[in-house]
Amino acid sequence: MPVDVALLDLRLRRRAIVGYTLGIVAYVFVVVALYPAFQDETSLNDLTNGDPTIAALFGVTGSLTTPSGWLNANIYANFLPLVILVLTIGYAAACVAGQDEDGTLALVVTLPQHRRAILGQKIAALVLQALPVALATLLLVLVGRSFDLTLGTWPVVGATFGVLLLGIDFGLLALLTGALTGSRGAALGVTSAVAAASYLVSSLAPVTQWIHPLRVASLFYWSVGNDQLERGLSMGSAAVLTGVGVMLTVAAALAFDRLDVH
Amino acid sequence: MTPVVEVAGLTRHFGAHRGVVDLSFAIGSGEVFGFLGPNGAGKSTTIRLLLGLIRPTSGTARVFGLDPVQDAVAVHRRTGYLAGDLALYPRLTGRQHLERLGHARGVAVRHYRDELVERFGVELDRPVRVLSKGNRQKIGLVLAFMHRPDLLVLDEPTTGLDPLLQEEFGRLVRETVAEGRTVLLSSHELDEVQRLVDRLTILREGHVVVTDTVAGLRRAAPRTVSFRFTDDIDPGPFAALDGARLVAAADGQVTLALSGPVAPALRLAGELGAVDVTARPADLDELFLAYYRAEARPEVGHAR
Repeated sequence: MPVDVALLDLRLRRRAIVGYTLGIVAYVFVVVALYPAFQDETSLNDLTNGDPTIAALFGVTGSLTTPSGWLNANIYANFLPLVILVLTIGYAAACVAGQDEDGTLALVVTLPQHRRAILGQKIAALVLQALPVALATLLLVLVGRSFDLTLGTWPVVGATFGVLLLGIDFGLLALLTGALTGSRGAALGVTSAVAAASYLVSSLAPVTQWIHPLRVASLFYWSVGNDQLERGLSMGSAAVLTGVGVMLTVAAALAFDRLDVH
Repeated sequence: MTPVVEVAGLTRHFGAHRGVVDLSFAIGSGEVFGFLGPNGAGKSTTIRLLLGLIRPTSGTARVFGLDPVQDAVAVHRRTGYLAGDLALYPRLTGRQHLERLGHARGVAVRHYRDELVERFGVELDRPVRVLSKGNRQKIGLVLAFMHRPDLLVLDEPTTGLDPLLQEEFGRLVRETVAEGRTVLLSSHELDEVQRLVDRLTILREGHVVVTDTVAGLRRAAPRTVSFRFTDDIDPGPFAALDGARLVAAADGQVTLALSGPVAPALRLAGELGAVDVTARPADLDELFLAYYRAEARPEVGHAR
């Protein structure tokens, strides 16, 4: 199985991967280490109780001082998805449409490899780029149980996996948009807009009645919007996130087959 | 024998924009074939069609008898490509390009690659972003040639190369075809084409204007002939000759561009008492420029 295209792209993204991983390690460590100082701070809960809509905008519902509330409010509902989405959408928009705009895509599509094999390697690189950030977060949160963050192992693993799938899905959407349009700007713009809308729908669904039914259309809901840190990632959520990924992969492969390469 | 490249009625539109229209030509094995034309003539579009980078709107292209889109892997395995606006990865060095892309091509034997690196003096250890256009072009040439492909597709290959390296490139092309391999190169440089190619297609505004050998084109090209007389004469009879165009007439000198036989002009000059005659060889530049000009399109038949 060819791997050179994946290795090439990972080499090109090395700095971003290392930088984002170090950044998330520092951030998550601080959040985890600060929990003991805030777990008895009841005034924090007044914030969410007093204006649940504003709190919901930041992806926060319920108590902020429980272990899951603390991690949701500071990591899982916003910061971790944001970092993973920046990584995956940024790479996915660059690896097909961006490289075509730069002219370097011709170097790889003239190799003796099927376009689908090339796209497969790019998707593998997409997944591998998101993994270090997700794994570092998972490890630090599990270590955080020494800081009174008493959460079950599997719910944390499931929630982290859900965010990883979320990032991959939006990365695949950027890949598809880039392969359809050949434009890095369109890939970034369309995917960022869909991700932002998806985030808002999932965040506001608990407090806004008319949005509530729409939550099932939001990938954030299936990933982090359904109390996954307490309940774990349900099979249904995992199936939705995986199914969307498979559909986007098929669509991206068809679009990449037909892409005019410069 | 199956031609290495065979194109019939090949057309590609880009929305409302013209790409290339109804191209037909064939390239035989061991041939150096040129695409010549001004910028925007459709040379790069044709090359992209031959490599399956884009799909045709209509018509067919065959490379090694295969469809470049459906059989892209087999075509690419036997082809080396240098893009006209070559882009490399700015942060990677030349060595990293050659290693990674060579490995992807399954280049196991590196001595030919290393020989090319030495011949062209390729800078291998600095990031591409700090290299000059010429040094980047050298890396592109090694990438195209290093796996000894049966077909080289080279779009403006000598861009940025100094004259010595252009000579070296010419030697490499001749060595390549001497081994029975085929070279397709596009250029807007008349000198380069005249020096290197056996046969060429001239493209203008997406259409094939003519396909012929350089010798064939030279035969059709106008020769410049000047006659000197002791006094001013009426140049009208010269202008009326078949295949003659009056270039200048002054101070007892008449200059003609002759694309037909020279005998009638010599006879007429003799009758008028010419005292001297000078003739320049066939001028391909003038022929090419005439083809390029939209308003002046010579009547030259298509070969193949």
